[in-house]
Amino acid sequence: MKRQLNRYLQSDWFGPLLITIAAIALVSWFNPSFLSPFNIQILLLAIAVNAIIAYSQMVIIAIGQMNLSVGAIGGLVAISFSGFMEVWSIPWPVAAFMALSVGLTAGYINGLFVAMTGISAFIITLATLSIYKGLNLGITEATPFYKIPETVKALGNSNFIEPLPWLVLPTIIVTFCLWYLLNRLPVGRFILAVGGNEHAAELSGISVRKTIITAHAISGFLAGLAGIMLVARLQIGQPTIGDDWLILSFAAPVIGGAVLTGGHISVAGTLLGVVIVAIITQVLVLFNVDPFLVQVVLGLLILWAVGLNKLREVRAARSMDELGAGA
Amino acid sequence: MNNVSSTQPPTSDAMRLEDESPPRTGSSRLGPQLTRLLLSNEFGLLALIILFSVIFALATPGFTSSFSLFAMGRTAAVNIIIGFSMMVVIVSGGLNLSVGSIGVCVAMAGGWLMQVAGVPWYLGVVGALVLGAMIGALNGIMIVKTGLHSFIITLATMSIFFGVMIFLTQAGSFRELPPEYVQFGRMKINGVVSPLLIVTLLIGVVLSVFFRLTTSGRRLLAAGANPDAAELSGIRVDRTIILCHALSGVLAGIAGLMLVSRTGAAIPSMAGQLGQDWLLPAFLGPVLGGTLLTGGRASVLGTLLGAFLVTLLTTGLLLLQVGAFWVQTCLGLLLLAAVLIDLSRRTYLARHNLI
Amino acid sequence: MIRKVLLGTCMSLVALAGPVSADSSTKVALVPGGPHPYFTAWEQAGMDAAKDFGLASADYKVPQKWELGAQNQLLESLVTQGYNAFLVFPGDPVGTVGIVDELVGTGAVAMALAGCLRDPSEAVFCMGTDTGNSAYLGTQQLLKSLGGGEGRKIAHFTGFLVDANTKLRIDAVEQAATEAGAEVIQVIADIDAPEPAEEKINAYLAAHADEVDGIITTAWVPAVVAANALRKIGDKRIQMVGIDHDEVLLQAVKDGFVHGTMLQNPYGQGYIGSFAANKLREGCTVKADAPFKSNALTDKFIDSGTVFAGIDDVDDYVTSMQSITKTLFESFESTYLDC
Repeated sequence: MKRQLNRYLQSDWFGPLLITIAAIALVSWFNPSFLSPFNIQILLLAIAVNAIIAYSQMVIIAIGQMNLSVGAIGGLVAISFSGFMEVWSIPWPVAAFMALSVGLTAGYINGLFVAMTGISAFIITLATLSIYKGLNLGITEATPFYKIPETVKALGNSNFIEPLPWLVLPTIIVTFCLWYLLNRLPVGRFILAVGGNEHAAELSGISVRKTIITAHAISGFLAGLAGIMLVARLQIGQPTIGDDWLILSFAAPVIGGAVLTGGHISVAGTLLGVVIVAIITQVLVLFNVDPFLVQVVLGLLILWAVGLNKLREVRAARSMDELGAGA
Repeated sequence: MNNVSSTQPPTSDAMRLEDESPPRTGSSRLGPQLTRLLLSNEFGLLALIILFSVIFALATPGFTSSFSLFAMGRTAAVNIIIGFSMMVVIVSGGLNLSVGSIGVCVAMAGGWLMQVAGVPWYLGVVGALVLGAMIGALNGIMIVKTGLHSFIITLATMSIFFGVMIFLTQAGSFRELPPEYVQFGRMKINGVVSPLLIVTLLIGVVLSVFFRLTTSGRRLLAAGANPDAAELSGIRVDRTIILCHALSGVLAGIAGLMLVSRTGAAIPSMAGQLGQDWLLPAFLGPVLGGTLLTGGRASVLGTLLGAFLVTLLTTGLLLLQVGAFWVQTCLGLLLLAAVLIDLSRRTYLARHNLI
Repeated sequence: MIRKVLLGTCMSLVALAGPVSADSSTKVALVPGGPHPYFTAWEQAGMDAAKDFGLASADYKVPQKWELGAQNQLLESLVTQGYNAFLVFPGDPVGTVGIVDELVGTGAVAMALAGCLRDPSEAVFCMGTDTGNSAYLGTQQLLKSLGGGEGRKIAHFTGFLVDANTKLRIDAVEQAATEAGAEVIQVIADIDAPEPAEEKINAYLAAHADEVDGIITTAWVPAVVAANALRKIGDKRIQMVGIDHDEVLLQAVKDGFVHGTMLQNPYGQGYIGSFAANKLREGCTVKADAPFKSNALTDKFIDSGTVFAGIDDVDDYVTSMQSITKTLFESFESTYLDC
């Protein structure tokens, strides 16, 4: 029993889960409207998209790299999706499929360059960030695409069961798929092995190149998916979609216990990291924090969330040691 | 300390602790000194800078005009310092996302000291830089005390520092600065060189000396390369981390104060929302210059050349008048081309048994 | 469609301007703060002005990013390329003063367009929208739609706090509300990007929709997002006044979800600005007693027109802008310039 408990304490998602529950309890005590169906729906919408953004970075963190171009890919896919529909009048499912291929290709190109040249992903994605964002601006000249079909708008803004929005569906599916991929499939094992120790992975017969390319392709695909979901939610193909993703994409996985040097990530932890950030954002609005102080409070809350998680880890490790010594 | 220096033969082109000199299995037709030079990042960057300079000079009429050279030097001066400020933290194996935020805080403090408190400009600069060191050290202390990754600490403090600055200034600016201070940013030496560039070069020399010749500098490198080994050999790794963050704060502050002198005012928006505008130049310089993201290796010259290359490419592209909205794409493509050319240079040298 | 109408106007404007002068050496650069749909009309305005007044060129040059550094670098490169007249939207009201002074130092003509520089600066004048006043007028319109301000509660959504204009807007909205006896119960700032805007505005409405009577938005993205949010909750009780001419916002005005929007006149700014720059290059000077207006930033302000467009006039806002442009243009030379 104690062992069981300790295993939970040790897992990455346990700390964030405690923080989430505590935060929800605290906030709804102060402000009951926090748990109103409408607010839950708003919260879920934010979480749905942000989770995909965080996953897109998480996959790259898993192989011990960084993808600075997630936002640029998301923006490019978003305007491709809306552009296909407005300019070429392509039906939305086809447009979505084509736009996702754009995202997949963009990620694949990242991976290809990283794997083939051996240059740090940081530099490659820094360069492609400029390229993808530049393509976006070159195509749109900073003007949004407006003609989004009603079906798409409805998907982004209505619920399939109260209060669950449609946009939650892809996130649930992706969450499950990613968990399955990383924990049950060989590809997932390869990704984590390459992240843990690239050299050892190579020696044990894993194709490091293929693994890196796969991870980047997945990342590009997910960034694109988030872009498409945002078009549906915002009901407009904004060229600025994605400009703001970078910080969130790193913060959520790290709050969820990911190790930036690679090899160790948690899908559940990342999801909870997104939830925590979303709650923090809402709290700042709900409690009418002075706009000039919002940034300070935001920073302090992130430190608090991460610090608490760290404290839990240290405690858990200590009790694990004691257990080991006793046995 | 002896421990470290004994494992560390004095190296020439860059300051590093783990000797990663290329394997010399093949018969080398060139001397080891020259080989090392040809293989170094710094040489590659210099070659690229010359290559692109020639291209731009031939393709655009105005590129070599004195105003263009002056403007380019001045922009590069600030970008290089921003790159240094990130470099000194990368050396320790960490990151500092709050460089822009610290830079703006220091700039605003400098503006306040000069305009409201009315101190002479040099005291204002010193006072503001002390603040920069303190803010940076605060980052370092938090990282050491909590054991959290510098990425997440500086992500949070980026927001906090910036927020405090915005709250205190209410987004107001300081523009009644001493004329000699503002003049400094507009002065042209011989019509071409900005004094800011000279300041930058001096700081580059100081940093080189610091990493190469001083005990603190070498300890910093050792701690970045392998913290555990450094700790065993008696280096207080905690202290070095706090030191490098304080140094980063000072450098970010210098960049901020240089921008104040160039803009003629201390304004909260000079590094964008949360100081994010600085992140790209902060990383581009060191990373192109061959500073390893894992720590333990710093190349002052490389960072300088890397930051300069980026400024050069941007200026060149603007002058080439590629359609306004396509500049970013071209910049990305050129960056990619630059790193690929650099890579093929090495492969070429390796293939032809020159190493 | 709009473009056609605009072309039509310039034709009539040319007729007013009289015979086209000989080719001048004026190279005008219209430089916004960064990529943004607001400035798109400047491109057409520049092309029309170049044609109508025989300028060497009047080009729309966009900084690659919305960064002060990027704008400065672009301006420097434009000097190198031989541009000698600069119509600049200040990336920062104070921060851009330095580079504008340097531009003037190279012998070029420089003016602040769409937004102003804080005095003193070397810019000949500022032609654009008085950001504070526009927010003030918008708030008054909002309170009017609520049947008077007494006891009303309004929320204000706006852009980045680092932009000094944002503080002006916050203060102006506060002032208009206080004067009418209303209360600004919440200000949400820093929502210039669509994602955080969506998240925060919706969160606000979810928690406080029944406590608020009106919404004023003073930045492009928050206006679009708030319009969509009101449409989504289908609440026509909450009145809203937006800013600028995004299609989503205009449609929401037509459909009655948004009371109206504060429109600005980017085409007129670009067109008349290019005209004035050329005149100044050709030796005209700004009249010593030119009837400039004053605003929070400068005493050399020319209002390029701010109009409120409600449900009745949103369809022909282009026409109303044209008439403003025409009126301003007809008397511009005699009012402001000594030639």
